[in-house]
Amino acid sequence: MAITRRRFLTRSGLLAAGGLLGPGLFAHPLVRNAFAETIGDRYFVIIYLDGGNDGLNTVTPIDNGASGALRTAYEQARGTGGGGLRLAANQILGSPGGGAPALVDPGSGSAIGLHPGLAGLHRLYAQGKVAVVQGCGYPDYNLSHDESRKIWERALPNGGTLPGGWLGRYLAANYGGSDIPGVNMRSSLAGEFAQSVTSVLTLDNVRDFGFPYDSSFSSDRDEKRTAFLALCEDAAASGQGELAYVGSSARATLLSSESYPALHDLYEDERPTFDAAYNGLDTSLAGDLREMAKVIYGVSTGAPNVGARFFQATNGGYDTHSDQGAGESDGQHTRLHRELGDALELFYEDCTDMGVADKVCVMVWSEFSRRIEQNDNGTDHGSQGPVFVIGGGVNGGVYGNHPDIRQNSIDDSGNTRYSQDAGDPYRSTDIRDIYGTILTRWLNMPEATVLSSILPQDGGDPARFWTAPNFNLGLL
Amino acid sequence: MGDESTVLTAADARHLLRRTGFGAPVKDVARILNRGETRGAAADRLLGFKPAAFQPAGKDLRLRQNSWLKYMIGAKNPLQEKLVLFWHDHFATAASKVGSVTLMAAQNRLLRKLCKGSFRTLLQSINRDPAMLEFLDTVRNRKRTPNENYGRELCELFALGVKDSSGNATYLQEDVVQIARALTGWRISKDKADFDEGQHDFEEDYPERGPKVIFTQVGGFGPGGRSFASAGEGAIESDTVIDILLAHRDSDARSTVARRVARRLLEFFAHGAFGESTPETTAVVDAVIDASGFDGTWDVTALLRAILVSDAFYETAATAPFGASTAKSVKWPVDFVVTTLRTVGLKAKGREYYVDGGSRRSLRSHLQAMGQQLFEPPSVFGWEWEKSWITSATVLARARFARDVIAARGNGGTSFRPEKLVDLGLTAPDEILDATLDALGFADQVTAAQRTVLLDYLTDAGARPSLDLENDDTRDRKLHGLFGLLLQSPTFQLH
Repeated sequence: MAITRRRFLTRSGLLAAGGLLGPGLFAHPLVRNAFAETIGDRYFVIIYLDGGNDGLNTVTPIDNGASGALRTAYEQARGTGGGGLRLAANQILGSPGGGAPALVDPGSGSAIGLHPGLAGLHRLYAQGKVAVVQGCGYPDYNLSHDESRKIWERALPNGGTLPGGWLGRYLAANYGGSDIPGVNMRSSLAGEFAQSVTSVLTLDNVRDFGFPYDSSFSSDRDEKRTAFLALCEDAAASGQGELAYVGSSARATLLSSESYPALHDLYEDERPTFDAAYNGLDTSLAGDLREMAKVIYGVSTGAPNVGARFFQATNGGYDTHSDQGAGESDGQHTRLHRELGDALELFYEDCTDMGVADKVCVMVWSEFSRRIEQNDNGTDHGSQGPVFVIGGGVNGGVYGNHPDIRQNSIDDSGNTRYSQDAGDPYRSTDIRDIYGTILTRWLNMPEATVLSSILPQDGGDPARFWTAPNFNLGLL
Repeated sequence: MGDESTVLTAADARHLLRRTGFGAPVKDVARILNRGETRGAAADRLLGFKPAAFQPAGKDLRLRQNSWLKYMIGAKNPLQEKLVLFWHDHFATAASKVGSVTLMAAQNRLLRKLCKGSFRTLLQSINRDPAMLEFLDTVRNRKRTPNENYGRELCELFALGVKDSSGNATYLQEDVVQIARALTGWRISKDKADFDEGQHDFEEDYPERGPKVIFTQVGGFGPGGRSFASAGEGAIESDTVIDILLAHRDSDARSTVARRVARRLLEFFAHGAFGESTPETTAVVDAVIDASGFDGTWDVTALLRAILVSDAFYETAATAPFGASTAKSVKWPVDFVVTTLRTVGLKAKGREYYVDGGSRRSLRSHLQAMGQQLFEPPSVFGWEWEKSWITSATVLARARFARDVIAARGNGGTSFRPEKLVDLGLTAPDEILDATLDALGFADQVTAAQRTVLLDYLTDAGARPSLDLENDDTRDRKLHGLFGLLLQSPTFQLH
C-alpha cells in the first residue's frame, strides 16, 4: 500500500513531536556555518575492508607496459595450479573502452585491471565514476591489524597529540553538541569518527532505533520522555567531562530515536524496487548501504530532524592467510570482491535514482594490503594497497602508482616499500593526500586548516616521509 | 587530603563500595558508617577475602558466560570479581580464537586464584596458560617458524607498555624476536601446557641463532643487556623472561612493570585520567608503588591497599554537582548490569538467563548490545574504557536493559518488586524519591536540577501532590517508572 508523505508524517508522530524539540535540532549556529561552507548538501561514506585486502589481486598488472616489469613480477609472486593465486591476464577487467579512462599504471605504463569479482565496480568505472588510487600507505608500515588500522583512522603515523580520528577532527571543528552529523553502521564507533564534540550515531538498522519505553504503561510515555530528555540536558550542561559526554550522547540518541525509525517506512514504501534489490544481494554490506540509503533519502527529501551526512560501514573477512582463491567464481576473495562491487553498484544506482548521485562520495580502504609472494594458498600481511573513491562527482581514472613489486625492490619481509621520492615511478600515495583531497575538495575545508588541525606534516627525509602534501590528487 | 586513618564519610563509603564492588547497598554503607571505619580498615576488610576456586561451567560459551554472570551477581566478595574482570581485560583472551570454552574457563579460574596475589606468579602463569598459548600463537611459535605475536604483546601490553611514563620506547623489535625464541617449544596436551624440547630453539641443530640476550639498548641493563643463559635453558626460560621483564627499568630508572600495573589499576579503580602519562599522574603512580613496595614484592594486595587509601582514589567520591575538575568514570557494561540486578534484587530467568520484561533478552544479549561480551574482548588490547563505552547503540542498549528490568512483572524472584526496596506506605513525592535514590545507592550523585525533574515526573508537574503506592496502577506507572528513569539516566552510567 502506497503511503503519502502526509500520512508518513502523521503515522510517525513527528508532527506532534516537532514541538517538543524546542528551537530545532539543527538551529545550532555551527551547523548553519557548516552547511554553508563545508559539506553543504553532499554526503560522504567510508567503507572499511576489515582484515587487510590483497591489493595485488584487486588492482592487478595485465602486462609489462613499455617500461615496467609488473606483470612478470606478479607472475613470479603468484602461482598457478592448486592454491595458486595468479589471475590470468584475460580474466582481469581492464580498460573498458567507450571513452572511459584507460586503466594504465602511470609510472610503469603497464595495463592494469580489476579482479573479476569486482565486475559491478568495473561497470561504474566504465561510466567514469570510480577513482582507483594505487599504492596507498604511510611512512614505513605496520603489520598489526590493530595498529595499522589505527594509523589509517588517526592519520598520525609518526605520532602526535591531535585527538580522535581524522574525520572526527573535521567533525569537531564544524559541528556542535546538538548536531548529529554522522551514522556508523555498527555498534561501536569507527576510529576515524572518534571525537568528543558532536554526536555520531551507531546503529544496526534504522527501524529498530526506537527508544525503549515500558509498553505496558504507554499512557505515561510522554512524561517519561520529558523527564529523560531533561535529565540528559542537565547532564549535557555539566562541566564534568564524562557526564556531559554521556548526557549529550543520550540526548542525541533520544532525539534521533524519534526520527530515524520512520525513515525505514518511508524508504520501504517509496522505494520498494531498490529495497528488494538490496535484499536480493543478501549481504551484510548491501544491508548496511541500504540503511545509509534510507537516511540519505530522508535527509534529501526533507524528513524532519534527520541530518546525517557522514556514514561508515565495515565489510569483514579480508584476512586471507589461507584459501584465498584467485579468480574462480566460488573463491573466498572473489566472493568478497563481489560483495563490495555489487553493493556499490546498486548503491550508486539507488543514489542516481534519488537524484543525489553527484552528491555522494564513497571511499573504500583497508588497513594494509598483503605480502607480494603468496604462501601455500593465501597471503600474509603486507604494506601499501589501493583505495577506491566512487561517486557522481568523482573524476574517474587511475591515480597514484602501482607499488613496486619487483623482486629486487621488495624488502626483507617481502613487502613493498613506502616512497615519497619524486623521481620514483613507483612513488607511493600517502593516505593523508587522499584524506586531504577529500577534506579540501569535497568537504571544502581550507588547505591551511587541514594542515594545522587535521593532518600535520611529517618532518624528516622528504623521500621517506610526508613533507609535501598534495591535496589535489585530481579525483574530486 | 587524608590517609589510611581517615574515617570514611557516607559519600566515601558509597564510592568505595561502587568502585570495589557492584553498587552501594544501603546496609553495606550503614555498616561502614556504624563501625566508623577508616580508609585503611575498610581496605583491609575488603581485601581480606580468600580467592574462591570457582570456574564458570557449561558446555558452550553461552552457558559459561551465563555462569560467570550469575556468580558475579551473587558474589560474596565482589572485589574479587572486579579484579577478575580487570585481569580478563589486561590479559585479553578471546574464546572465538582460542576455540575451547574449557581453556577459557580454566584461565578465568587462574585469574581468580591469582587476582590479588603475586604479579610475578600471575605473569609466569599467563606465560604458560593454555588459552593464552593458543590465543597469541605461542603454540605456533616453533624454532623453524618463529611467531612473535605473544612476545610482542607480553612487552607491549602485559608487562612493559609500549612507551614508558616519559614517552620513551620500552623495547625494540630485536627484543621481541629474542623473547619469541625463548618461548618456543610450548604446546597444549590434554588441555595442559606442555613443553617439547624438540621444538625449542636451543637445540644444537640451530646453532646460528646463538645465545639469547635482550634489552641491550633499553631497560637499564647496560650495553650487555640481560642473557637468558644464567638461569638455564629450556622450559625455565619461560620464567626467566618474566624475571628479566620485572627487572626492566624505564628512562626514569623506575620499575617499568610496576608503573604500568599501578597505572592500569589506578585507571580502573580511580579514574580514566591515569591512562595518560603526565607528571601529576606519574607522581601518584610512584606514590602508591613506594607506599606498597610493589616493585620489590609484586604483591598486588599491597598495591591495591595503597590505592584504596589514597587521595587519588577518594577524589572520585565527589558528590553532585560535579565540576570540571571532578573525576568520574563510565561504568563498564558488566558493572552496569550486575550492579542493577544486585541492587534491585532481580534474578534472571532460565538457562538462557533472560530478564523477564520487555524484550525478554538474555543478559549476554543485553551485554553484547552494550559492547561487552565476556570471554570475547574485541582484541588483545581488551575493551576500550570510559567514553568509548558510550555510543547511541549502547545508550539504547542500556536503556533497553533498564526498561526490561522495571517491566518484569511476572511472579517471584524474576520480577521487579520495588516494594522490597521502597516503603509503599510513603506518600510524599520527595520522600519516595529519597528512598529510591538510597535504594539505588547514588543519592549523592544527583543534582538539585535532576531532583526537580524527577519530582515533576512523580507529581505530573505538581498535579499530584501525593502518591498512593499501594495502588497497583500508580506503583506500576510511577514507581517502576522512577526506577527506570534513574537506571537510564546519564548519572547512573558513571561511578
